[in-house]
Amino acid sequence: MPASRPRRLRPTRGTVLALSLLLGGSLLAACGSDEPAATGSPATTSATAGGLIAVITPSHDNPFFKAEADSAKVKAEALGYETSVASHDDDPNKQSELIDAAISRKAKAIILDNAGADASIGPIRKAAEAGIPVFLIDREINATGIAKAQIVSNNSQGAQLVAQSFVEAMKSKGNYVELVGKESDTNASVRSKGFADVISQYPDMKRVTQESANWDQQEAFTKMETIIQKNPDIQGVIAGNDTMALGAVAALKAAGLLDKVEVVGFDGSPDAIAAIKAGEMHATALQPAALGAESAVEQADAFIKTGSTSKEEKQSIDCELVTAENADEFGVFARK
Amino acid sequence: MTAPATTQTATEAAPPARAALRARRLSLLNVAFELRAFIALAVLIVVFGLLSDSFLTVTNLITMTKHVAINGVIALGMLLVILKGGIDLSVGSIVGLSGVVAGELLQGLQIGGVIAYPPVWVVIVLCVAVGTAVGALNGLLVTRFNVAPFIATLGMLYVARGAAMLISNGATYPNLGGDPSLGNTGFHLLGSGRPLGLPTAIWIMIILAVAVALLLAKAPFGRWLYATGGNERAAELSGVPVRRVKAIVYVISGACAAIAGLIIASELTSAAPQAGETYELNAIAAVVIGGAALSGGKGNVRGTLVGAFVIGFLADGLVILGVSTFWQMVIKGAVIILAVVLDQVQQRFKRRGAAASAVVASEQPN
Repeated sequence: MPASRPRRLRPTRGTVLALSLLLGGSLLAACGSDEPAATGSPATTSATAGGLIAVITPSHDNPFFKAEADSAKVKAEALGYETSVASHDDDPNKQSELIDAAISRKAKAIILDNAGADASIGPIRKAAEAGIPVFLIDREINATGIAKAQIVSNNSQGAQLVAQSFVEAMKSKGNYVELVGKESDTNASVRSKGFADVISQYPDMKRVTQESANWDQQEAFTKMETIIQKNPDIQGVIAGNDTMALGAVAALKAAGLLDKVEVVGFDGSPDAIAAIKAGEMHATALQPAALGAESAVEQADAFIKTGSTSKEEKQSIDCELVTAENADEFGVFARK
Repeated sequence: MTAPATTQTATEAAPPARAALRARRLSLLNVAFELRAFIALAVLIVVFGLLSDSFLTVTNLITMTKHVAINGVIALGMLLVILKGGIDLSVGSIVGLSGVVAGELLQGLQIGGVIAYPPVWVVIVLCVAVGTAVGALNGLLVTRFNVAPFIATLGMLYVARGAAMLISNGATYPNLGGDPSLGNTGFHLLGSGRPLGLPTAIWIMIILAVAVALLLAKAPFGRWLYATGGNERAAELSGVPVRRVKAIVYVISGACAAIAGLIIASELTSAAPQAGETYELNAIAAVVIGGAALSGGKGNVRGTLVGAFVIGFLADGLVILGVSTFWQMVIKGAVIILAVVLDQVQQRFKRRGAAASAVVASEQPN
């Protein structure tokens, strides 16, 4: 064995070299791309006089958070700030580290879509004590007086809006299925309650089953296929987000039931808007992600310059109903 | 151990008839253990069948089997890796990567100034090739660089997922139906086609299962694999090309995962880069419920498929009954643990059974 070792090492070294070249090459290619990579390490761009604004959101693999981060970055740079965009991947610990990094870099403000209503309070307080104002977007925290602003879309209003349109499409009667989001996420229950507030006023609307599909398309597809086995006589599907609604559409299409079933979702994702245009989905409630992020940057700018946002801490932005009639007016989580 | 053990068995087995009875009873128990995954599946079917009218219908059984097929296909590849005594954590990410590559190719591939639209069969071949390449990289890391399989494939879990995100820039590829004028339609048939009345996914699972079973039973590779998993050193000394065997299992596992990724993308006619997250754990669970040992050398195709059916039927049955998602998770976890506990109990019975039959055998000549 030991005698053969040196001979074996040589080709190994060659492969190491090849591998590292390969890895290095792909890394370079990644750096060359114009988009900021959705990783934990902040990607800093264009040094300007205004100082640094840190933008921290959940993972950019969801187009919603990507739209949010992109519009905050564009707005901040337009106002003359340097930006650093990073993702905490819904990990409170990673979020805390990113906030530490922003503090040590003496950021002027932090725009944050947080990683948990309770778990985020400590890190936000830490930033506030270091004199860095924090502006929350999309998700609230269970405390007031720490962040300078909490700008969230009105999930309850959006859910009621889409449920109203759903009831009209079903002509106020029939059997429907509700797909709920991840049950540990507050938005899942707020939306579900919003749906129920409207639909419960119509006695001929019957919910045959309510199932969680964890915000996930493949899971919604599989569960919908199974639900159809038990309840083939359905006229509607109302889903807590668009991804699940699209999973249900695929299952209904495969079963040849899509013509008879109205599907509505929530979020206003570009894929859902395309499905609405194609007549496969009836409606969705668009959350103006871009609007909220831009507004947060504007308030941060005002606070940095004047010491006040001149607005209340809790602010809600209304969702907009997207149907076939107005689908052309919307882009990526914003009006065109 | 020798002296007291012999006296004890001798006194116990004084009337040889009783010893024979005991041996038979133990071997009967052994058969029951051997079939425990089948029994679990039968119990599931009976219980869900009694609790819901819509469970035991032909269409529902076909739908559920189609759901099983995705995990089944991944689990067949995972079985080979586990037989070798390894583990492949990268399969879930390969599922996502394969779907994204299909999405990218079907949306048109820009080469220079021209956009090429490869036909669907080319897309499928290329996606499987991508899975194979990731698997080959796993194999290379494990055999050439002596990285522990857990670590090598854990690393690849992140690399492959990241690659999928980079290719799609985090977005989902919608509408993979193709365009008749570009000649790249038909991708949806993989997920929603029904040759001879059964969904394509089920046929794919059947074909792969037969292929893997033949590979294990008839080809020299099968014997080499069991030998390598059982005792790597002994296998190497008796001339088994251990390194090649170890590398090949990861290649096959990567290819199986890529096929599963294609089925999912085709069913949804859209490809999301985050598809297949945690699927590696479902595949490992199926293999383990099917009686394979994570230490290698023990397991078979039949058991793995039954394991996949147990997990799939359990999940769908609980949805039909409307059981809360949280309970679904608890029940699934309990079933996996129970399967492994039963495996340990079986090992103990096997040893005792062997001892009892040894006594019978020694009594017989008298």
